[in-house]
Parts: sequence; C-alpha cells; structure tokens
Amino acid sequence: MCALASASDVEQAMGDSKNWAAQAGDYANHRYSNLSQINASNVGQLQVAWTMSTGVLRGHEGSPLVIGDTMYIHTPFPNNVYAINLKDQSYKWKYEPKQDVQVVPVMCCDTVNRGLAYADGKVLLQQADTTLVALDAATGKEIWKVKNGDPKIGETNTNAPHVFKDKVITGISGGEFGVRGRLIAYDLKTGNKVWTAWSTGPDSELLVDPAKTKTWTNGKMAPIGKDSSLKTWQGDQWKLGGGTTWGWYAYDPKLNLVYYGTGNPGTWNPSQRPGDNKWSMTLFARDLDTGMAKWAYQMTPHDEWDFDGVNENLLVDIDYKGKKVPALVHFDRNGFGYTLNRDTGELLVAEKFDPQVNWASKVDMKTGRPIVDKKYSPQTTGPDVDVKDICPAALGSKDQQPATYDRKSGLILVPTNHVCMTYEPFQVEYTAGQPYVGATLTMFPSPGSHGGMGNFIAWDPAQGKIVWSKPERFSVWSGALTTAGDIAFYGTLEGYLKAVTIKDGKELWKFKTPSGIIGNVFTYQYDGKQYVGVYSGIGGWAGIGMAAGLTGNTEGLGAVGGYKELAKYTTLGGSLFVFAIPGIGAAQAAAR
Amino acid sequence: MRWVIALLLMVAPLASLRADDARLYEVKDGNKVDAKTLMGWKTWRALACERCHGAAQEGLVGPPLVESLKRLSKEDFHTTIMNGRPDKGMPPFSASQMVSQNWEGLYAYLKGRSDGQIQPGHLYPIN
Repeated sequence: MCALASASDVEQAMGDSKNWAAQAGDYANHRYSNLSQINASNVGQLQVAWTMSTGVLRGHEGSPLVIGDTMYIHTPFPNNVYAINLKDQSYKWKYEPKQDVQVVPVMCCDTVNRGLAYADGKVLLQQADTTLVALDAATGKEIWKVKNGDPKIGETNTNAPHVFKDKVITGISGGEFGVRGRLIAYDLKTGNKVWTAWSTGPDSELLVDPAKTKTWTNGKMAPIGKDSSLKTWQGDQWKLGGGTTWGWYAYDPKLNLVYYGTGNPGTWNPSQRPGDNKWSMTLFARDLDTGMAKWAYQMTPHDEWDFDGVNENLLVDIDYKGKKVPALVHFDRNGFGYTLNRDTGELLVAEKFDPQVNWASKVDMKTGRPIVDKKYSPQTTGPDVDVKDICPAALGSKDQQPATYDRKSGLILVPTNHVCMTYEPFQVEYTAGQPYVGATLTMFPSPGSHGGMGNFIAWDPAQGKIVWSKPERFSVWSGALTTAGDIAFYGTLEGYLKAVTIKDGKELWKFKTPSGIIGNVFTYQYDGKQYVGVYSGIGGWAGIGMAAGLTGNTEGLGAVGGYKELAKYTTLGGSLFVFAIPGIGAAQAAAR
Repeated sequence: MRWVIALLLMVAPLASLRADDARLYEVKDGNKVDAKTLMGWKTWRALACERCHGAAQEGLVGPPLVESLKRLSKEDFHTTIMNGRPDKGMPPFSASQMVSQNWEGLYAYLKGRSDGQIQPGHLYPIN
C-alpha cells in the first residue's frame, strides 16, 4: 500500500467555498456550496452578470471550474478549453485540440464532454478521442498526454477525469459498440498508468481478490469467489461485455476508496448473452492506490433494458435505524434509489424513486436482486417482439444528470426522467467499430401521470422515500446544486434555470437561457460576490435529435421521437450564463 | 402498375432482368415480405448498416443504396459486402455469419427498397 503518496492541492482548493474546484465541488458528489449571499429571501432578484459563447453547438454537459481569479470552461467535441480572467472576462489562454472527426460517429448519444478536473496547477481534459491531457493551468501548455482507448473499435470518452489525492481517474464510453469497460488510474504528476480495473473478464484483470472482495449474498457480505465474471458469460462474450465507466466517480479519503458504477452489458438483445453478465451494472468500491475492489454490488443482473449503472454515488453519513452509517446513495437508471454502507458494501435501502417504475416490483433485500415483472421483460418475450410500456425507458428514471445533497436538511435533490418505452430486441453481430445495439426503441412520457417527461424530487436516503416531487415538461437533464442559502438550482431542457426552496420545492425564480440546459449548476465567489452559473446548450441523449439533426422516431436509440416536442421550445446553442444579485457583495461596492 | 408494364414492354432488353428482379422478393402492403427478404432486412438491422447508409437507405457517410442498387450487379454487391471498401471506410463483412447466410436476402431487400416496392423501416412476415 502506498500510504505515503502525497495528496495534491485539490483538497485545499475544494475546501475553499469561493472556488468550484471539482465538477461536483468535492470528492463526495454533494454539489453543495457553503455560500449564502444568494439565498431563499433574495434569489428573486438574481440577474445575468455576464455571458460567454463557447463557440460550439451541441450538448453542453458538466460545468466550468473556478480556482481563485480564473474560470476554466470546456466545450463538447472538439473539446476546447478556455481560461477566463474573472476580473474582466478576458481569455488568459485557449487550448483547441485537433481531433479526428471520425470519433463523432462512434459517440452514441451526442458529442458531450462532462468537464475538466484541476489539481497542482494542472487542468485535466479527457478528450472524446480517448486522449487524456494535463495542461499547465497558468499557460494552457501541455504537460503530459496519454491515450486510454481506441476510437476505431468504438472507444470514446465523455466522462470528466477526476483527481483523487495524487491520481487522475478516468473511464471509457462505448457500451453501444461492444467495448469492454474499465476504470484507469494515472499518476497526476507524470501521466504514468498506475492501474486498470476491467469490468468483465478474469479475476486478475478485474482487480479482485476472490476471497476478500465481497458482495451482498443472502442478507450479508460474502466473498465473490473465483471467476465471478467469467462464470456469468457464455464463452468469451465478456470480451465484448460492456460495463463502461462514463459516469461521475467519488472518493472517501478516510477509507481510501473510489466509488463508481459500470454500464450496460454488450448488446441490448438479452437473449444473445445468457447469464448475469458480471460485472456490468455494478457499483464498485476500489482502493485508490491499488485498484483492488473491496466490494461490488450488481444492481441489474442480466440487463434487458439498457439500465446502465454509471450514475453518481453520493457519499453521505446518515442515521439509519438509530445508528450513524457511512453511506453511499445512488439513483440508478433502473429507477431504484439505493443506499449502501460505503465501508462494507451492505445493502440498506432499495426503493423506487419514481412510482411509475414497473419493470421490477421491488428489490429482494436478501438477495439484492430485482424481482422482474415478466410482462416487461424482453428476455422473456425473445427477439423481434415489441415489449410495450416498460417504465422507465432506457435512459432511466435518471441518467448522468447528477443529484445534490443538502448538508443542512440531509435531503438529496434529484433531477429525474419520467419516460417509458417500447423495446424490441433483435439479433446483432459484432463488427469492430460498428454499433452493437440490437434493439429498436420508442420513448414517450410516463402514461397515467402528469403528462410531462420529468420531475425534480427531494429524497430521504435513510427511508428511501420521496419527500416532494415537482413535475417538469421534459426530463431534468441538468445537474442540480444546493447551497447554504436554503435553495436548490437546476436547469430544464426548454432552457430555464430555476431556483426552488429545499424544503418543499417551491419555485422562487427562473430565467430562460437561449438553449436547453443539460449542464450542471455551479457557484463561486469572486471579489466578495457570489455568482451562480450554468451552460446553455441542448443535446445529450435526450436532445440528440436536435443536436445531430435526426428525425426518425426510433433514431437516437428512441430519444428522437420521445423528445420531439422540444423543438417547440428551444434550439441549438452553446453559451455560459453567470448570474448575480445587483447591489450585494463587494464587487458591486467597488464598481460604484 | 400499368405504366411499369408499358415501360417494360418498351425497353425489351431490360424486361428479362426486370422479371428476374420481380421474383427476387415478394411484398405486400409495402412492409410484409417473404421469409428470405425478411432475413435480409434482419441482417441489415443486425449489422447496423443504417449507420452509414441511412435508415431509409438514402445515404449518409455511405452512398445511397436506393440509387446504388439500380446499377450494382448481384455479383458486385456480393463482392462489396464481403470485402468491404476499406479505402472508403466500409468494413468487410465476410466474417459475419448472418451476412454469409443471408446476403442474397439482403440483396433482395435492398432491390425492393431501390425499386420503391418495399417501404423503409420495420418489416414483417407476409403471412
């Protein structure tokens, strides 16, 4: 164990609330700020402070970073990076990588990029073409550069790199191209690869210890045993096994564990890949220094719906049945909100966070497995049959749009989808670099509900209960923010940035930006004044029709028809919006 | 249909070819086809050909097959799909079991699309 590894300055940078030093603001995925200049009593006066074009159309996910007097912004493909001087919003430097455009057709769900990481004077960029670059934060010059995949076989990146202590953690996308997922750790200083942990395959490549790595078994944690992945695939299908790793990662410095989830198993046609397909659809806890897995929990064994398990894990300490528990809370695509003990991996809570979820009646708390309703099971019906009215749709009750933890109330505020689907699986054959999907989908708003395609909800992670739910016309595809000002922010696909109260979701303020919002709301303080910002730029899976110019209902893996109505409200864009309250904070005083 | 027959009579040398084509596939209501053509469509779907050639074979980065199939002989079609056109970005599909088994059905399906007899989108068995 490398207990002597020195931490980078990222922890110090995150510790200062004036910065927004990591995509989630911290290691724990809280997306919470201690700033309170903007609060429930004055947020109604929020106005645009400044804006900036990113120069790129298509979906803008993630958020900028702010370190001191500099903001670092990123764009979708071609993944430009701009350093902006907050004093006068001038550019300090621009980094514009040259990437082969051939990478675009192998990105399933728009050319999004979920943002940068910062540490030790370096800005980390994970390009679409699988190049990971460390830039000098002061000059924008390349310090080191490595490749972690091959776009020719469908491997790309959309995830943000994450700096944990002295390592840069990144993953891989391409679950629709038969890519074999893995999480990779690089040394922050040199860019040297430290470990690779594969999602499928032999034990040595999974970085598991068959006797020590544990999983939830008959109501307790037990060793996963030998060949835990190989045994759950037919032949060498694990080589095309998926389990990609394009979500948000988390880190607990005390336990020295990295947390993340893996995506769908290769091909969406379940009949073609018998078995549980481990360790796709799995939450992993791994030692940061060695990559060795402490525990794993597969949420959706033998996936039949494309319910990737990549969504973020929020590390929160909760009161559970009278005891303080170090917990991990995860809102899965499959519609269940899970609470686990993040130290031991024990399953504590698994409840639906959208009442419309119907593919499984519940999670059996003893086995940890979902009780699947055969009526909504493409495996049961077999290929070439339309399985109707499955809820949620493939893009899940929630996709990558990250939730936020309000440290004051203990509530988690979750941007969600409220979408169902028809799913027709069909036989596919693998050709390197070609899609390996095998299902035709149509999507539509949850029937028998409010008619909209999304909700913004508050969740009690200890009870597994929805506290309140605010309906939205479209999926809430934007990451949310909570602040010590007792307010939460989120964006909508129509383009509104909204502020609501945390206790009951009452809308206090909204502003229509020029394009739909799929970026994450962030906040910072500069020169004594608090700002709130967000990217405006429709796209992502939900907005793929508009972003890629697709029109067929089943195109974009079913999202084009489902989100057709979006065209009434918004169009392509690419800009950053920054808001503040006039007359509050030192900047305004100085300007007078 | 009348004008088609008239056209065939006018262009006598093409008539026999057209007659061959007519037997290539059987179609009803535009979206119900014979078993062989159906397997051709399933092969189209299984190999994700629409990604380059378009969902309605209208062409994207790959050429529009509704046009190409008016010129391409069956032999040339076979050669192209088996060997690909690596210089233009089309991979070879000779390793695909479905292509080896169903390439004639795929040819029939694409001819039907090119002739305007088969509709784009999902197909179903004729009976």
